[in-house]
Amino acid sequence: MLIALLIVHGLFAVALLGAITHQTAATWLPARKQAGSFGGRFRAVGAAGYTNAIVALYACTFVLGAIIYPEFRMSIRGVLEELEVPAAMGAFELKEHFAVIGLAALPAYWSLWRQPLAEEHGRARKALTSILAFIIWWNFLVGHVVNNFRGFGA
Amino acid sequence: MNRPRSAAFLAIVFTAVYAFAYVIAVWQNYALFTYHPATGALALGVEKPHDGPAMYWFGWMATAGLAAAGACLIACLVPERYARRVGSGCSWTVPLGVLFFFAYLLRGYFLR
Repeated sequence: MLIALLIVHGLFAVALLGAITHQTAATWLPARKQAGSFGGRFRAVGAAGYTNAIVALYACTFVLGAIIYPEFRMSIRGVLEELEVPAAMGAFELKEHFAVIGLAALPAYWSLWRQPLAEEHGRARKALTSILAFIIWWNFLVGHVVNNFRGFGA
Repeated sequence: MNRPRSAAFLAIVFTAVYAFAYVIAVWQNYALFTYHPATGALALGVEKPHDGPAMYWFGWMATAGLAAAGACLIACLVPERYARRVGSGCSWTVPLGVLFFFAYLLRGYFLR
């Protein structure tokens, strides 16, 4: 059951990663004309349209992560200590705290992206979206790497 | 009071206060409750590990949630002219500062 939840957690994280990366790229480098290249099409999206999906995906990913977290503390944390990989443990500790900060940022993030977009909040919108993108990328990569220490289903 | 502006103001207050309260809760270990995953037991406040590890993460989140909810209640009473002074910059500067503080707080893991 926990492995199934871990896989669903990972799938939600992949979808979230795609959505936030699209939105961040479109926020920093909006396409001004008809995009021809892959990179151009990647950022030529309506950034605001991703907001509700990102909030919902973040919440779902967080809840699933919180459900499987006690199992990590009981079985995987001990393995990391035995392997003497403090950097991996530290990175995971940062992941758990960053995830909470990202969750706390969602109300402000959602409010800043609410239509019609307020011109005066442009800088805050860009900055908070970038912070959220950093958190999501960090958590995805760290979760993936730490999971590989133990191995799937071990 | 203009309704959409109030919602935006409360959202910024919630985000900023939650992030700040969470980092204080972790730093000083102000967990509202402790979870013992081995037994599935919950205990009010901070309790030492027994029969396996103790988890404070859920308790820290609850503490920060209480602080943020309290701040939002107080913010509801703030007159519009003062609420306008709270810039949207707080919505990202406080979380960003907290991320850096956590990196500093946990530096020991990376400097061994």
